[in-house]
Amino acid sequence: MEKKKLKHYLRETLSTLLPILAALVVGGFVILAIGENPITTYGVLLQKSLFTYSGLMKTLHYAGPLILTGLAIAVAFKANIYNMAVEGAAVLGGFSAAVVGFSLHGVSAPVHIFLCLLTGILAGVLYTAIPAFLKAYLNVDEMVVTLMLNYALVIVLQYFTEGGALKDPKAGYVSTYSVSPDAMFQKLFNSDLTPFFFISIIIFIFFWFVFKKSKLGYEITAMGNNPAFSEASGMNVRRKIILIMLISGALSGLAGGGFMLSEKYRYTLDFSGDPGLGWEGMLIALVGRKDPVGILIASIFFAALNTGSDYVDMFTNVPKNIVGVLQGIIILFVSFRAADAKFGISAKLRDKFGKSPKDAPAEGKAA
Amino acid sequence: MNMLNSILYDTIYYSTPIVLCTIGGLLSYNANVVNIGLEGMMLMGAFSSALFSLLTGNIFLGILIGVVLTFLLGLIFSFLSINLKSNFIITGFGVNILVAALSEFVLQYMQVANINLNSVVNVNHLKIHIPLVENIPILGKLLSGHPFMTYFTIAMVFVVNLILYHTRFGLYVRVVGENEDSARSVGINVNRVRYAAILIGAVLSALAGANLSVERMALFTNNMTAGRGFIALAAFYCGKGKPLNSVLYAVIFGLAQALATNLSLNAGAASGLFGAVPYVVMVIVLAAVSVTKQRGKLTRGTGIG
Repeated sequence: MEKKKLKHYLRETLSTLLPILAALVVGGFVILAIGENPITTYGVLLQKSLFTYSGLMKTLHYAGPLILTGLAIAVAFKANIYNMAVEGAAVLGGFSAAVVGFSLHGVSAPVHIFLCLLTGILAGVLYTAIPAFLKAYLNVDEMVVTLMLNYALVIVLQYFTEGGALKDPKAGYVSTYSVSPDAMFQKLFNSDLTPFFFISIIIFIFFWFVFKKSKLGYEITAMGNNPAFSEASGMNVRRKIILIMLISGALSGLAGGGFMLSEKYRYTLDFSGDPGLGWEGMLIALVGRKDPVGILIASIFFAALNTGSDYVDMFTNVPKNIVGVLQGIIILFVSFRAADAKFGISAKLRDKFGKSPKDAPAEGKAA
Repeated sequence: MNMLNSILYDTIYYSTPIVLCTIGGLLSYNANVVNIGLEGMMLMGAFSSALFSLLTGNIFLGILIGVVLTFLLGLIFSFLSINLKSNFIITGFGVNILVAALSEFVLQYMQVANINLNSVVNVNHLKIHIPLVENIPILGKLLSGHPFMTYFTIAMVFVVNLILYHTRFGLYVRVVGENEDSARSVGINVNRVRYAAILIGAVLSALAGANLSVERMALFTNNMTAGRGFIALAAFYCGKGKPLNSVLYAVIFGLAQALATNLSLNAGAASGLFGAVPYVVMVIVLAAVSVTKQRGKLTRGTGIG
């Protein structure tokens, strides 16, 4: 029994690490192709972001919002809901938090921060409510709708940022006003880390219990595995869809709000970064196998890549977007990993023609 | 009158890449593989044909290389989703993120903000003016003065319709989509049919991208496809994979964009908001179609890997 469990964990860990290692190898060829040294580049990338004090703190600081968007994607994906509104909800959450951050005056710092984050959460919930109700009541495909809404949202926010009452005319670029100093999270321990990281950790622990111990966690998994059966067993799937999507929206809004108050301080057109908080959340949820602990580790890893990319820019001739390339390759490898975990790559390659592709979804569930 | 002409012309202008991508993507949709990677494939076509047009100094060679590279990307997508039985939704998102990052990476490496092709091509020379037709009021604006890819797209709509309903391959595609096991039992090579459907989609998406960057603007900028691949997805999903219906939905988006662009010229301060209209229109169309058909679910696996 013990041995079996150990073997299980070993295999889980291995199949989580394999796509990342494979992506590093492929990315290495990309670096070679532009005439640079992959070992040096990866050395800078990981050494500076994980093995220096300031780098490690910066990595943890970046991990905060990613833990939340990772959870936001995982909670939806687990229930087989492709909620891509996570990206938009994070952006809107950040924008709304900024507006409250620079327009509200005369409250104490903790209250101000609390109100900013609360606004961010509400914005994320309201934004996600649109696709949630469309899906639950009109059976509209949530994936396409949320992708469309994200594009529309970015244009609308650009409009508000480029002109009108929210634009900061003194900034040399397109930007809103900066949030007032008492709405900013204070830096801790002489580093980039702020209290927002600990807020993320508390939320993370809460969701660990939700996923592992609560009835809701069980229902989410059941819905993902077999929606028809869940419905038949008396679950109100429609209400659950809405609940799950709104939770996902709240987490995303908080992620955006926290990112705003701890890092960006003002809304600019590249607020969410590359490829964006929500997209990185998807990456994290998939690499972390939608498991809370996996998500925590994956958040720190991808945050390390973000931190490291700045150093790569500084210390090597490799463009910092090598990190984006790595992320893309990792997703490609992750997309079929679920099957590998069960059969191993060699077995997979051996019988790839012998089996019907419709087995794939069943294997996907194992993730 | 002037505005009407310009709206008509722009409708065709904006619809072209989306329609081309739609009819490319609907083949694999009919074979029961939803290709989320269309967005990335279109971006790959736009990026690589612009890059190689610049490097070779010849847009035909550039577009050809762009098509070949996107074909290779289509092969990777097919191999992962068909042979390795990946969750093709996730694979598709991977393609999108990878191409967006790769093109940014190359631009960073070249230390340029965009790829400008003005030294290679003058887009005005690419417009084909049809004699006689161009003088007909209204119709002239609609049909004349477009680049080659527009006329190619119109032809391809009928070609794909023909392929899907009047050829053996089209029949196979539909049978595979309808019921994989029976397709296998009558001896259809399911994997090969799916490969072909996906790869045709990749090539047409690449051409759609080349239309965007090389033919229309002589310029490539980061993420310039701006969700057009996803709109194509919405279009053939609303049109239930039927070519002519799906194209209609793609044109609705083109029309919305043409209206938004032309009306925003007179809208003063609010003009910046008009850009969001086409996406919102697509959400409304999706909802409307779902209400009327009550069968609004994309075919996809039950688990996310």
